[in-house]
Amino acid sequence: MQNQISTATANRTATISTTIAKPLQLVGAFILGAVILYAAGFVNTSAVHNAAHDMRHSQGFPCH
Amino acid sequence: MIFRQVVFYALLVGTLSGLVLTVAQVWQVVPIIHSAEVFEQQAAAVPAIESAGQLEAAHSHSADDDEWAPNKGFERTAFTLLSNVLTAIGFAVVVMVAMMASISLSHKENPGFKWQHGLVWGVAGYTIFWLAPAIGLPPEIPLAAAADLEARQIWWLFAVVSTAAGLAGLAYGKSPWRWAAPLLLIVPHLVGAPHAPGAMFAEQPPAAAAQLEQLAQQFIGATAIANLFFWLALGLAAAWSVRRIVASTRSEFKSGNTATPDYKLPSN
Repeated sequence: MQNQISTATANRTATISTTIAKPLQLVGAFILGAVILYAAGFVNTSAVHNAAHDMRHSQGFPCH
Repeated sequence: MIFRQVVFYALLVGTLSGLVLTVAQVWQVVPIIHSAEVFEQQAAAVPAIESAGQLEAAHSHSADDDEWAPNKGFERTAFTLLSNVLTAIGFAVVVMVAMMASISLSHKENPGFKWQHGLVWGVAGYTIFWLAPAIGLPPEIPLAAAADLEARQIWWLFAVVSTAAGLAGLAYGKSPWRWAAPLLLIVPHLVGAPHAPGAMFAEQPPAAAAQLEQLAQQFIGATAIANLFFWLALGLAAAWSVRRIVASTRSEFKSGNTATPDYKLPSN
């Protein structure tokens, strides 16, 4: 019984996850990557700037 | 689910390549930043120098500032490692999305991802995200005079997007316009990066300016090498990951079993 329920749940999850079109998933991932890069390389709040300072200089992100 | 797999593998790729970058940086890049900061502290310590006040305002990370900054030594290196890994994860996601998209854009039936592809993608990433912006805005050491931050950030983004579009057009374009795509590589440099007027270290005493000038030259060489290692590592690891993702989604499709959890790693 328990097994059947979990299989059914797994089936439903798999169906839901595969209905999101592949290009849309890739666009979503791209946005996530862009947000991470913006936070690490572009945000100019003092604490973020100071923490990421050496990385920004080395990676050639505009700094100060 | 492609999203989950790309993000999961990007965490691995980013951690690995971020570590490679940190080793290369700590070995040869960070010492140059620290040398430049010695001059920065000297300049800030002499109140007689008129520009000291301006420096204070322009460099919010100077030592006697109230703002939080990591302590010198271990803490600072730890934060550099953290931001390297974070940046590398961001780059890894973007590169792997581009790799996955390229599979559908490719003219070939089964493009496959070998390690040689990883090197090509690594060199492309290096060209787009390091070399192209560095031609207009070479990586700078602290104290270097520079134009308005926002203007430089916009130009950086412009150079990255334009170079990426140029390389993508050349690689995947189908019409004769394909051969016009490389023009996009030149456009940001024709427009020109924003620069501060005058010499880079004009506000410094001449002796210090000469030494800083030398440090600035060394810094460009050091970052060029560190970032090349970083991008080759990232390209190789991302190609390996994309190959695994493609293999796992194929076997799923073949078996026709949609109930197979898609985060399951392929057996090969």
